[in-house]
Amino acid sequence: MPAEMRLFVDKHVRYIQSLDTREDELEYWLTEHLRLSGLYWGLTALHLLRHPHALPRQEILEFVISCLHENGGFGAAPGHDAHMLYTVSAVQILATLDAFDELEERLPGVRQKIGHYMANLQDPQTGTFLGDEWGEHDTRFLYGALNALSLMGFLHLVNVDKAVDYIQSCANFDGGYGTGPGAESHSGQVFTCVGALTIAGRLDLVNQEKLGAWLSERQLKNGGLNGRPEKKEDVCYSWWVMSSLAMLKKLHWIDGEKLTAFILKCQDPELGGLADRPGDMVDVFHTVFGIAGLSLLQYPGLAEVDPV
Amino acid sequence: MASHGVSRTAAATERSEEARRKELQQIAAYKDLTDLVNAKISERQYTLEVLGLSTKLLNENPEYYTIWNHRRRILGALLSPQLSDTAPHKDPNELVQDDLQLTFTLLRKFPKCYWIWNHRDWLLRTAESVPGASNARTLWAGELQLIGKMLHADSRNFHAWSYRRFVVAQIERLAPPTTEASSQSLVESEFEYTTKMIKTNLSNFSAWHSRSKILPRLLKERTATAASRRALLASELSLICSAINTDPFDQSIWYYHQYLMSTISPACPAHNRLVLDLSNGERQEHYEHEMEYIREILDDETDCKWIYEALLYLASAYLEVEGGTQAFSTRDMRGWLDQLKRLDPLRKGRWEDLGSTLNV
Ligand SMILES: [Zn+2]
Repeated sequence: MPAEMRLFVDKHVRYIQSLDTREDELEYWLTEHLRLSGLYWGLTALHLLRHPHALPRQEILEFVISCLHENGGFGAAPGHDAHMLYTVSAVQILATLDAFDELEERLPGVRQKIGHYMANLQDPQTGTFLGDEWGEHDTRFLYGALNALSLMGFLHLVNVDKAVDYIQSCANFDGGYGTGPGAESHSGQVFTCVGALTIAGRLDLVNQEKLGAWLSERQLKNGGLNGRPEKKEDVCYSWWVMSSLAMLKKLHWIDGEKLTAFILKCQDPELGGLADRPGDMVDVFHTVFGIAGLSLLQYPGLAEVDPV
Repeated sequence: MASHGVSRTAAATERSEEARRKELQQIAAYKDLTDLVNAKISERQYTLEVLGLSTKLLNENPEYYTIWNHRRRILGALLSPQLSDTAPHKDPNELVQDDLQLTFTLLRKFPKCYWIWNHRDWLLRTAESVPGASNARTLWAGELQLIGKMLHADSRNFHAWSYRRFVVAQIERLAPPTTEASSQSLVESEFEYTTKMIKTNLSNFSAWHSRSKILPRLLKERTATAASRRALLASELSLICSAINTDPFDQSIWYYHQYLMSTISPACPAHNRLVLDLSNGERQEHYEHEMEYIREILDDETDCKWIYEALLYLASAYLEVEGGTQAFSTRDMRGWLDQLKRLDPLRKGRWEDLGSTLNV
């Protein structure tokens, strides 16, 4: 394989392993409010890189449990308030580690509690989901809830039809979706809405030709993908756009080779990790979404990723 | 943990011993502050002093969502009428103004931070029911100025656009009930706002998008007649056609053109239509007229893929409603498709699928 097409697997694994040893950097403390999601991103990247055991399983499990609240929700780190985003990350980690039974053994009744925490955040009037008791709503939470509840086998706790109606009210003429009714189409929100409709088995409601066309126009000449018309490319959109195209079975509507080359250029060849653009500082968020994009592009040696 | 646009070389410079020591001091100070705030909150010390500490912390780290929650816990207590007389307190109006100022300053620095937008939204909703706070409608109306400033700094900030729609809805909700429905609505002024934004920058897709959402409501509230609906469609088409002529390489413009075309399709749901009783003959005329106009631009711009894409879209829409003479041939369509394949190889797979769908 030509040098510029190489994925530095070992370096990325070491980069992810190093993330929890940075307590002497201020940035480590300033990002504590993302810790649990960061852990999920790191763990997922390691699975895709086929190094699933590179982080210690038991320590992860202990950390996840230390973020659990009495009400069944999870905060981003111990002492942080419960929120949908981190509850979803916790459930995704537990599913990846296949640890639900173990958790239930230690804390009987906890699965039900987690399920009900998320289900209770559904707004009975509109069908969408709130982030927490303070009332913010966003299609990100709706997707997260359906995803986590379906991983736990608890979809029946919520009104899926009502959630589907809400997603439809966020649809735009270009086939895409925004953060709420009336909001402009955005790749991240397209992913959450198409993902939620896939989980609900209602992809028939998507204007697939129009949305596929809109998504394919996210690819720029340099091979990278942007999030909205007339914006710059960014590695994280490799995932939002590509997984949506995969759910619509239109991955071939963009140039996979060029995108692969773009993602690989965003690696830090010395210390591992991927950045938003070539030459920028890496972080675990862009690392996992870049690698997940490569997996959808069938880059050799990576584990297969589920687009939902 | 998710950084954007920070260059690696700038970040990677080796830290000197001095810098390391300084960073460790900063960490210790930051952790002391977070520990202090969290400890006082767990003791339910919902006081002005802790409010001040949370201000300090949020200025250092506005993404720390739990601290925003703490702040709302404190404000909830301080704004409550049951506050004991002995505790030091502040006028509710002043408390609200302080938080409006704090979130404004932070939004200027972190315009994409969800938690700051959220807090502002919570604050204004809460202020509505606080006795002694400014008139709710005045507070919400003041938000339009903030959004104007935010959109001036970044005319595509989708937080600001979403917040604008939300604020407009609140102002409309709080209009005095005695006034006529038409004077409660801001739909006309919002329509003008998109015109202004588009005139400043034709490439502002957020403004075009917003316009697409406003039009159906605008017509409804004007109780527009069939004739005035047709007139509006015609004037929107002429606006977008002159924009296309100005810059045929700008995709924002083409999306709005697609939007207008989608409203005249027989498949368009009734609530999204601009003209409610369009006949197939009129549709056909529209398609023919647009094709003719776009083919004229082709004389000067043979390398613009959007032109060929629009022509193919119009041709297939035309074929769906076609009743009489054909304004183009299958050979034309094949030619346009070949141009798309030539000019836009990134999306080769899409153009091939389109060829089989259109059967050319
Ligand atoms: Zn990004």
